[in-house]
Amino acid sequence: MLTLENVRKAYGARVAVDDLSFEVRAGEVFGLLGPNGAGKSTTVSLGVGLLEPDAGRVDLGGLGAPTRPEVRARLGVAPQALALYEDLTAEENLRFFARIFGLRGTALAGRVEAALALAGLTDRRAERAVTFSGGMKRRLNIAAALVHEPSLVLLDEPTVGVDPQSRNAILDRIVALRDAGLTVIYTTHYMEEAARICDRVAIIDHGRLLALDTVDALIARHGGDPVLVATTSGGTHRESTPDPVAALARLAATATVLDFHVERADLEHVFLRLTGRSLRD
Amino acid sequence: MHAILTIAAKDLRLLARNRGHLVFTFVWPLVTALFFGTIFGGNGDDSGKIPVLLVDEDASEGSAALLAAVGRLSGVDAKANVEGRAAALGAVRRGDATAAVIAPKGYGAAGDRLFAGDPPVIELHVDPSRTAEAAMLEGQLMGAAMERLSDVFAGGERSVRVVDRALVEANTAARPDPVLTGFLGEVKRFVGTRTQASADAAGPAEGGAWRPVAITRHDVKDERDGPRSGYEVSLPQGVIWGMIGCALGFAMGLVNERTRGTLSRLCTSPIGRAHVLAGKGVACFIALVAVQVMLFVLGAVALGVVPGSLPRLIVAGLSLAIAFVGLMMVVATFARSEQSASGLAWALFLPLSMLGGGMVPLFALPGWMQTAGTFSPIKWGILALEGALWRGFGWAELALPCGVLLAVGLVGFGVAARRFDRTA
Repeated sequence: MLTLENVRKAYGARVAVDDLSFEVRAGEVFGLLGPNGAGKSTTVSLGVGLLEPDAGRVDLGGLGAPTRPEVRARLGVAPQALALYEDLTAEENLRFFARIFGLRGTALAGRVEAALALAGLTDRRAERAVTFSGGMKRRLNIAAALVHEPSLVLLDEPTVGVDPQSRNAILDRIVALRDAGLTVIYTTHYMEEAARICDRVAIIDHGRLLALDTVDALIARHGGDPVLVATTSGGTHRESTPDPVAALARLAATATVLDFHVERADLEHVFLRLTGRSLRD
Repeated sequence: MHAILTIAAKDLRLLARNRGHLVFTFVWPLVTALFFGTIFGGNGDDSGKIPVLLVDEDASEGSAALLAAVGRLSGVDAKANVEGRAAALGAVRRGDATAAVIAPKGYGAAGDRLFAGDPPVIELHVDPSRTAEAAMLEGQLMGAAMERLSDVFAGGERSVRVVDRALVEANTAARPDPVLTGFLGEVKRFVGTRTQASADAAGPAEGGAWRPVAITRHDVKDERDGPRSGYEVSLPQGVIWGMIGCALGFAMGLVNERTRGTLSRLCTSPIGRAHVLAGKGVACFIALVAVQVMLFVLGAVALGVVPGSLPRLIVAGLSLAIAFVGLMMVVATFARSEQSASGLAWALFLPLSMLGGGMVPLFALPGWMQTAGTFSPIKWGILALEGALWRGFGWAELALPCGVLLAVGLVGFGVAARRFDRTA
């Protein structure tokens, strides 16, 4: 659906994206992870046509570069900032963005209704966005990216600042959209969200792709072995092993096991292992 | 085009819902027009005249005639001060009146003496801060006194009495001047002839009183169909402030789109950056025209400001709107935040307005400022509006200011589009 091939982008002497290549497949939720300053925003901007690469190629669905307006018609973008007009109502916001994407008449009305329903704002359609809670604004922000039925939607940290209920609702709807055939690029700093909904995850840092695979595969490849933690009469026993069951059996043969659990690596562990623990800007 | 109109409609809706912006755009310019219009003379009533108090200490025919003549002077709002000299001087000291004219004791008698004795004295007491008015008053007083003197040669009872007295004083002088007595004798015969002619004709002799010079006043505004009131001068200023307020609001709106992220969203839609900018421009243009329509309609209905030429006013107004759209876009595309947009806008518009006559009328500015104003589009905007309102500009005269305004608008749009393409 979206292909970046050997893409490079620099701002003066600073290289933001360096020889980056990956492909987002149709119908998947593609997680794009990276610490602050990793080049994530530049990658996203290149992917949606806000920036032109200095070198390399970006292609959307075989139609060409998204810098071309007709190619961008297939895109939907929900920026991290709440990109809404607060003095317009929920419905007016959606109608405006639908019109910008060329919708008219009954098609426009139908899509606005669907987007309002998706955002759970049908009953609040006539209220101005400025009166909405953070969660409602986030949902409206996503709905505005979907109102024209794009093939690919970019959701840039769509759950920042929302309560657990709204977060769950947003994640469930993203999965539902994916199941309906929509391709989603999802950027977040919440690793558990990425692990929950992303089919594949790309981790980038310093403008380069560090890893790209399913969450399980990334953990398997970069997470290290599981750690068996057991409490015996002789004290606490920790053992990193590819087969915790066998290790537990061996331990039980030599000591009385009072308690045990297995610590498995998660996506955050992988992320920190790949990108390091030093603080970023 | 659909996208441009969609953006324009959205921006106008946002404008309508922003009370602060609405007040600044529509109410503030009206207040400005009323304020400055009132300062510069309002509807042309007596408020623009010089307040002068008259004190008659002589209580003679001559002093009464002089003060009556002063009361008839144009540009003077004369009031007889019944409480006398002290009260009149106190009023001038307090600034309640610009001047006091006092005819002291002996004025009438001195005025009836020809070619002898001390001249009649008229006291003019003025507020020292009003030197220009004082000089004008002094000249007008001299004229009124000369009028009284010239009446001596018009014939009539007073003429005879004054000349007879002058002859007696000349003949009884310690060293009589035969030339003067001879001359006065001729005058007596001349006055007698004119007095007899007046009596025969049961009216003044042909020619009336002789005047050394007659000054006829013609206000240039009358010949040029000029401003009938201060509001015709101040309304274009109010319009300019409306333009500034409106353009500033739209510039802030465009910057706000950038900071809120809606601009990024628009730039990832199928429309181009030029469409976004053009949509803003169309909305701003419509709002600017609406401000002008509202102000000129109010001006016509409430202030009596009727344009000399409606078609020319429309062309001037549209040109002004285009210029301000260009200036708005420049401000919006060079500012990175709402605060910087506001700062940049005022840093741009305030000096342009000061130099261009947007705050103080051009004629009241020093010469160098009037010259510098040539570089301010505000000046050309006011000139275009005044040209259509009351200066009686023809199409050829209107072409220069309107051409400058159109050029400002086009250059502004070009600069902004180039900048916007790089920074949006």
